[in-house]
Amino acid sequence: MHDGVFFEDQGLPTATVISSEFVKAARAQADALGAREYRPVVVPHPIQPLTREEVRLLADKAFDEILARLTP
Amino acid sequence: MPKDDRYLDPTDSVAVPRKTAPRPPTLDGKVVTLLDISKAKGDHLLDRIEELLRERVKPKAILRRKKPTFARPAPDDLRQQILKESHVVIEGLAD
Amino acid sequence: MPRTTKRSSGPDSQADAIEELYTRGVTDGLPVVPPTLTRVERAIEASGRPGDDLIALVPPNYGRATVEKIAVNAVMAGCRPEYLPVVLAGVQAMCEEAFDLHGVSATTNFSSPLFIINGPIRKRLDVNCGVGVFGPGWRANATIGRALRLIAVNLGGARPGVISMSTMGHPGRYTYCIGEYEEENPWEPLHVEHGYTPSDSTVAAFAGDAPQGIYDHRSRTAKELLTTIARSLQVVWHHKATALGDTLVVLSPEHARTIAGDGWSKKDIQRFFWELCQKPVKDLLPGKDGGEGLPEHVLAKIPSPETDETLIPKFRAAGHLKVLVAGGTAGRFSAVIPGWTFPNGSNLVIKKIHSRD
Repeated sequence: MHDGVFFEDQGLPTATVISSEFVKAARAQADALGAREYRPVVVPHPIQPLTREEVRLLADKAFDEILARLTP
Repeated sequence: MPKDDRYLDPTDSVAVPRKTAPRPPTLDGKVVTLLDISKAKGDHLLDRIEELLRERVKPKAILRRKKPTFARPAPDDLRQQILKESHVVIEGLAD
Repeated sequence: MPRTTKRSSGPDSQADAIEELYTRGVTDGLPVVPPTLTRVERAIEASGRPGDDLIALVPPNYGRATVEKIAVNAVMAGCRPEYLPVVLAGVQAMCEEAFDLHGVSATTNFSSPLFIINGPIRKRLDVNCGVGVFGPGWRANATIGRALRLIAVNLGGARPGVISMSTMGHPGRYTYCIGEYEEENPWEPLHVEHGYTPSDSTVAAFAGDAPQGIYDHRSRTAKELLTTIARSLQVVWHHKATALGDTLVVLSPEHARTIAGDGWSKKDIQRFFWELCQKPVKDLLPGKDGGEGLPEHVLAKIPSPETDETLIPKFRAAGHLKVLVAGGTAGRFSAVIPGWTFPNGSNLVIKKIHSRD
């Protein structure tokens, strides 16, 4: 979250993709850094046991939300 | 009031409010940086996002960058490089 | 929000303060000593430094660890005022870049900072280095480690389940602080190995899992005993983990005597561990003897891994195996403490303790 908050503050729209287990941690970290409006894009946990193909499907599902996060 | 009826705050509230960046109307013609935070499988996700960006929007360029470790914020020189060369950033994957 | 919040309460103010502090989420779950102005002023005075001196910014939230904020947390943990110089040095150590408190505090791994105290201050503060060294009973160990944990939470943001995402945690997250038993150490103590003089007092921060016990009553030679320990080192993290960094081996005085009695130096020990903890590529394949194994980017460079005999070291270098002596003088037990050691992960960091006497 540090990087995303930094880029946004410097004027670069940023979409940070995280897994669902880390929503609370990401929220707390963004708040602690003063970025109350910063919202990550969430994909379902877990990631580590997935195959490449399964990870690609996650990207397919998350793509619209990533675009929405970067445009008005 | 006696001194010992009071206690001090063990925390430190440091947050200075940060801005969020204005959004461009579209990613067409923009330089998009895909930042890999160096956690396993993140590159697979970003590979697919790169393909989708090429299919569905017309970015001017897609740049792939990688943090040395997910365990720390990106080093200053990498942050500065990304600021200089791109319009938007997609980073992942934290799990 | 003001940096210093003062609260007042009724006649039962101490008990109310204990409840209120727990409710605010600024404790470790155990009751804390209410950090009254008088107690905090006494602790600041004992530190020998002004209250508003900035010692470090505590990752990952980068809260300001001033002498006053450190003192408030030290009082809550139950520290005596004279422990403050140790706590200040501990804050410096864990906030150093090389320690990576950001990662250690946020990780899903087990890790917690372990603080190791060396030098004459151990005697002055009655820091336990001997019997039951990782256990309870000594105020200095108990409260210095606890103070540093509270600082990581209250100034660094490492609140469990919020920013600290450790799946299991471990009991050392309440307090994790030992002294090295220098008087029973046949070799140079940790701080001297790192360039300090024996008369310096230091505190080292090491990101460690819980101690993993090694039982060896029967080895009579250094080689036999070190082989037992090396076989236990082989299963750190899991039996096919490789590329590990700083890892602690805490030898009991009896074990240390057996090893030193055969003329082995610390460097010999480290080298021996490193060499024994290698495995051929063919034994490190994911899916063979467990789903874990060498990462894909490493395997991709090996043409026929199923038959490849190239030895892969478990530890990146022999110097990552840090050897200490601690624990009771009776008992042939030692302990391995796995580290948080991804490449660019956490490294052991030592800081000098500046006390006025």
